[in-house]
Amino acid sequence: MMPGARRAYDSGLIAAFVGSALLFLVPQFFFIRQSLLPNLAPGVVGDTLSLENYRAIVTDAFYWGVFGRTIGLSVVSVAVGLLLAFPTAYLLARIRSRVVRWLIVLLLISSFVSVVVKVLGLTLLLGTDGPVVRALHALSFGLWDLRLVHNDASVAIGLVQYTLPLLVMILFGVIQNVPPSLEEAALVHGASDWRAFRRVLLPLLWPGALAAALIAFNMNMGAFTSAVLLGGGRVLTVPIMIQRKIILETDYPNAAALSLLLTLAVVLVNLAALKVRPGAFAATHPG
Amino acid sequence: MSSVALERLRKRYRDIDVVKDIDLDIAQGELVVLLGPSGCGKTTTLRMIAGLVQPTAGRVRIGGETVDDLPPRARNIGMVFQDYALFPNMPVRENIAFGLQERKASHKRIDARVAEMLALTRMHAFVERYPAELSGGQQQRVALARALAYEPRVLLMDEPLGALDQRLREDMQREVARIQKALGITTVFVTHDQQEAMVLAERIVVMNAGRIEQVGTPEQLYANPQSLFIADFIGRTNRLPGEARELADGLVRVALRNGRAIRARAAGAAQVGDAVVCTVRPEKLRIAQASDDASDNMMPVTMRRRSFMGSSIDLAVEDPAGSEILLKLSATSTDVPAPGDAIVVAFRPEDCLCFAATAA
Repeated sequence: MMPGARRAYDSGLIAAFVGSALLFLVPQFFFIRQSLLPNLAPGVVGDTLSLENYRAIVTDAFYWGVFGRTIGLSVVSVAVGLLLAFPTAYLLARIRSRVVRWLIVLLLISSFVSVVVKVLGLTLLLGTDGPVVRALHALSFGLWDLRLVHNDASVAIGLVQYTLPLLVMILFGVIQNVPPSLEEAALVHGASDWRAFRRVLLPLLWPGALAAALIAFNMNMGAFTSAVLLGGGRVLTVPIMIQRKIILETDYPNAAALSLLLTLAVVLVNLAALKVRPGAFAATHPG
Repeated sequence: MSSVALERLRKRYRDIDVVKDIDLDIAQGELVVLLGPSGCGKTTTLRMIAGLVQPTAGRVRIGGETVDDLPPRARNIGMVFQDYALFPNMPVRENIAFGLQERKASHKRIDARVAEMLALTRMHAFVERYPAELSGGQQQRVALARALAYEPRVLLMDEPLGALDQRLREDMQREVARIQKALGITTVFVTHDQQEAMVLAERIVVMNAGRIEQVGTPEQLYANPQSLFIADFIGRTNRLPGEARELADGLVRVALRNGRAIRARAAGAAQVGDAVVCTVRPEKLRIAQASDDASDNMMPVTMRRRSFMGSSIDLAVEDPAGSEILLKLSATSTDVPAPGDAIVVAFRPEDCLCFAATAA
């Protein structure tokens, strides 16, 4: 390559890098600045910088409840999601069949379907006249009148459904990387199925499983569609509060402050989770 | 009493019997090699002994006890896997201690046995290393130590040396033989490498297409193969196709397809008129001399290539039909013919085996 062409190539790379950095950083700057400005009237923003918006949120018990509910729903949904995804991914990874490849492709395609469509499907399924509620009602001889829409449970179900394909796909890849002979070696050398899982499979899967769990958690924390459609306005999560601030109250500074606090909460939970080691679950010396 | 006994053991996957009703008794302290081409059922047989594969029919006994209903961990066996299968999340010490820990052995016993195993496999220097930090041969030793640490009744080895290069492989073969002898542990070793089988085995079990083709010492299999498959599979041999013409005193007169008539030892139930294949080992062929016994088989051939192999000189010659025949001469041979020379090769009828061609 000519030196001139080389230089043009290099400056192209640098220009693209700087462009990307600006696209990322400039909106963040205005966003953070917005969160520090006072909201004088709907749609009217002042120009004195202060932490007043943050103080108002942090000192309001209502918002603590909203954040608590959002984190709680996200954690529970991740836990349920992992319980469903792990055995599924394990089976898919260990069955030697061509069908598996098609199942994975189907899973991938299904994850491209808009969340709105999926959630509406769930609403029909779980609704008061839906088959699930009616079946439970009939099976319990009319004793169990379960409500499965517009409450925390329905939002959690929606979040599980939202993240499940991703969890299965990530765990499938992770489990496939652990040779079956490792589990066989554990079984032959004296471990039960459960011990083989705890001492060999779990420590090897841990980094991948943790990554999958955190991605799902982060998706859940920011999930708006499931919460709004399945919660029916009764389940208030942080993303819903942000939307209300913007659409109903035209309070951009408060919405920006809420958004940044949500981001902060997500970052803190992620950092804390990365400190957890599989050793906490898998004792190497029994007895 | 036999240490491991297989009784009419069968495994069927979908519609195919990959192991077909095999019977085998392995004596206490014996090293038996299951030898065969890939897909012959040898690994499946080993995995049925381990309990990793459930037999479709038949029984596995270990130490006289039927173990078919026992999970692998209750069979008290050690196993070395083809890919070693060392636990990557544990250092060497933990890998070796694994079986003892799972058996709830005391710390004192675990420490003592780990130290013994490290000495046996000469791995003390690496006790804190992780598997990823070890060479192939070292991983092999750790896998062996892990399998032996809790003093199992039987050691199973599934092509354990396949991933090593030739030199290291020969070293490890000696190592496995030494350790097996030192402990006197009943061992079943699976390989597709007949040379490895001959180095290690007291008894070789040759398997083919799910059946046991022949069981014997390396000498028996080499000198008296009971089928064309064994003759071909154990060591190198030349194949001479033809038709049986006359049977007399255990010898068959054969009209070879290359136009020559020879006499061969009847090794199968060939009848007059049957298509047969005669086999003769390269080292049993020689260049004919004027003084040769007239009753030996003679065949004119054309010299093609010679290769000096160190301990021998290999000649590739071509028979009248254009098929290649291999001769192995002593490395000290003089008068080695030049390429293109017309020569005559000779071999004794008793060194040539005649098999029915359909048995292949």
